[in-house]
Amino acid sequence: MHEVSIALGMVDELTRIASENNATKITLVKLKIGKLSGIVVDSLIFAFDAIKLEHPIMTSAEIIINEIPLIYECNDCNTKFETEDIYFPECTGCKSYNLTIVSGEEQHIENVEVEV
Amino acid sequence: MCDTCGCDHDHEIKDSKTIDVNQSLLKSNDEAAASNRKHFNEKGIYVVNLISSPGSGKTTLLEKTIEALKDSISIGVLEGDIETELDAERIRAKGVPAVQLTTGGACHLESALIHKGFHKLEHQLDGKKLDILFIENVGNLVCPSFFDLGEHIRVVLISVPEGHDKPIKYPKAIKTSQVMLITKTDLVEHFDFDIEKTKKDALALNPSIKILVTSAKTGEGLDKWFELLNDALTGK
Repeated sequence: MHEVSIALGMVDELTRIASENNATKITLVKLKIGKLSGIVVDSLIFAFDAIKLEHPIMTSAEIIINEIPLIYECNDCNTKFETEDIYFPECTGCKSYNLTIVSGEEQHIENVEVEV
Repeated sequence: MCDTCGCDHDHEIKDSKTIDVNQSLLKSNDEAAASNRKHFNEKGIYVVNLISSPGSGKTTLLEKTIEALKDSISIGVLEGDIETELDAERIRAKGVPAVQLTTGGACHLESALIHKGFHKLEHQLDGKKLDILFIENVGNLVCPSFFDLGEHIRVVLISVPEGHDKPIKYPKAIKTSQVMLITKTDLVEHFDFDIEKTKKDALALNPSIKILVTSAKTGEGLDKWFELLNDALTGK
């Protein structure tokens, strides 16, 4: 249930961003969420849709999620590969476990569409 | 007259624009955590965030740690729970100041609450300097791993009765911790718990995690835990 806390923090940030940009309304929020972020997207949207009703500037805001695939790079043979294995992935080139995450841990607000 | 369609009132025409943000969803907590850490550093306080499932032995570990170290170092505790003062009372009974942080339902602590709790603790200290502050997080292996509190180390406890599959089931707790304590090892003969597998899985997830095998009941491994804390205090 950390998604509720994350949604509360996001609403605070959106309020700040709207105010800094003299926005009258937030219409769209684009998020980047990696497969390894540990954020349950449906829970986050559910929480945001409930909290936004208390904030007139974003009551009609929608969320679009850009889901980022889990990509590793092998430290032994430099192969880059995408995988669904979130625990103990092995390199598709040389079977090594010595890997670095390239993407998949993202939990970012990418951009916000507003009316000014 | 309206320029758009010739009607006799002004349409409200609004411009829309896209604002690039590219910042973490956890920015507000992370900023508060950085501010906490700066404050702790200025005061020379080493801060340990204990996370685990409910019932893994966090409070018992703290009781044993206080018994062993309270004569040589000054200890304070922030106790996170959903409800009740029970844990803070257990800590105060050992003679060290403790503030209970009740989250009222939230399953983890956040930096803003730590900030408030620390100031409350300072009132109890009455000017006395702290060497070490333990934060006992709400019992939960999922959510606390998302929230930096401004600690210097995060310590995750995995107890024998929970089963040795915990590291692979809760990888983020392992990945974001610097130390893992396997606790309640006095019970190992009664459970199907493979200590070596637990260590191997944790190291595969986080190659730099330091692992200690402990029992608060028999005292096994606690000397290494105290040594780790003393080293951190002298090395800071």
